[in-house]
Amino acid sequence: MNVRWETYLGAVGFLMLLGAHYVGLFVAPPEAMMGDVGRILYAHVPTAWVGLLTYLVAFIAAIGAMLTGKAKWDALVEASVEVGLLLNVLLLIQGSLWAKPTWGVYWTWDPRLTTCAIMVVGFGVVLALRKQIDEPARRLTISSVATIVAFVNVPIVYMSVKWWRTLHQNFSSPETVDSAMVTPLRVAAFAMLFLSTAFVVRRWRLAVAQLTLEFDGPDLPAPSAPLAVED
Amino acid sequence: MTGMIQGGWEFVWAVYGITWAGLVLYGISLHLRERAQ
Amino acid sequence: MKTTLDILYKDMLIEWRARSRTVALLSFAYTILLLFAFAIGPDAAALRHHAGAYLWLGLLLCSTLLLDRSMRIEFEADAVSKLLLVPVSAPGLFYGKAIANSVQLWIVGLISIPMVIVICDATITEHWAWLVLTIFLGGAGLAAPGTLYSAMIARLSGRQLLLPLMLFPLVVPVVVAAVKTTSLVMLGDPMNQAGSWLVLLGCFNLIYWSLCGVLFGRVVEA
Repeated sequence: MNVRWETYLGAVGFLMLLGAHYVGLFVAPPEAMMGDVGRILYAHVPTAWVGLLTYLVAFIAAIGAMLTGKAKWDALVEASVEVGLLLNVLLLIQGSLWAKPTWGVYWTWDPRLTTCAIMVVGFGVVLALRKQIDEPARRLTISSVATIVAFVNVPIVYMSVKWWRTLHQNFSSPETVDSAMVTPLRVAAFAMLFLSTAFVVRRWRLAVAQLTLEFDGPDLPAPSAPLAVED
Repeated sequence: MTGMIQGGWEFVWAVYGITWAGLVLYGISLHLRERAQ
Repeated sequence: MKTTLDILYKDMLIEWRARSRTVALLSFAYTILLLFAFAIGPDAAALRHHAGAYLWLGLLLCSTLLLDRSMRIEFEADAVSKLLLVPVSAPGLFYGKAIANSVQLWIVGLISIPMVIVICDATITEHWAWLVLTIFLGGAGLAAPGTLYSAMIARLSGRQLLLPLMLFPLVVPVVVAAVKTTSLVMLGDPMNQAGSWLVLLGCFNLIYWSLCGVLFGRVVEA
């Protein structure tokens, strides 16, 4: 098996994305309601789909890590949360820039935007915890628990914000996509998927190398005395 | 049907620019981290 | 089950013996309410309208102090490892601590009600029992994930900053539902929505209390 298969996948994704965005920007027709601003669709929607998918991978990896305790699963948690966060932050920025011309404001308490903002904190916390905990086995457990909770929380937050908002006006967003726009959208979605998979796998390789060293390394005494509570 | 939004290209460029910048910069950071290992 | 009750009794005893700390916590809640009032300014209508929000924000801020302190006593002198050796079942430990934390939050919450009524000139339009139920469900909804997370980071030096950050995503649904219900009870509920919000709060509690109980064992044994 070709060791660097993800490089090829990434390159394919990169080119596909270039193509899809070119079509989306210059060839596809302007959106019915939103005009040219609707072209943001081709960047924003794929980011959303793939971002959520990446977090799902993180969730599954966290369960795997909890069940097996192996470095490879822990590495996948680290990799997918990091890439997921990248996409999440991009999503927030894209969403705000889309909101300004269409809804008139950069931010609004729309269920999707709000959930998105909260997700950044929930998953960002996983990475923060990983930086703080030195002991590999404990780090695996804690970050897996944090990832699981962060993921389970996403539908809960979405639902509660949706309820919270039902008394206020509903902002419309395109639910159905015009046929002329479906193709570049689909291509862009697959392109992001390939690119993100390549990122996750590369990042995973990096993490595996690092973590295997830590897990299998000699048992040195912990850097700080475990019985004392630092204050 | 309400009127189509006119213009707004600066937002479109901003979104695409930031998206691509983010992806490319992340790719570069991955590459640099691999080098360091 | 017995573990839960024993831990609960132990924690309540500790808190009773250190009553001054609970008084300090109540003063903290009171101070926050005052600060909100000063920050909003003399706009009496705004204060009255958002009284529910201030109550829950105050309670939320108190919870971070409370949770941190509550878990610290377990980790001082590594007491938790010794507890687990006895053996104390990890879920039992979790539920005991979580209920103890809930009780303390309920106390602060219930005492906050008259404070809010006075400081924000709030009224209770619907029956006060709804408010008590909201405090009960909201407090429990904050305590369960709070207990899990405070155990997760008990050994870290950055925990005082990390705890509110970690709790924030989990706490949003509970706070949204609790504030909504409280506001409806205080300002009037013509369309009888409070009930559905309380059901939502109940569901969150079910999810958090079961999930956190399951995960606590792994977190503490690591």
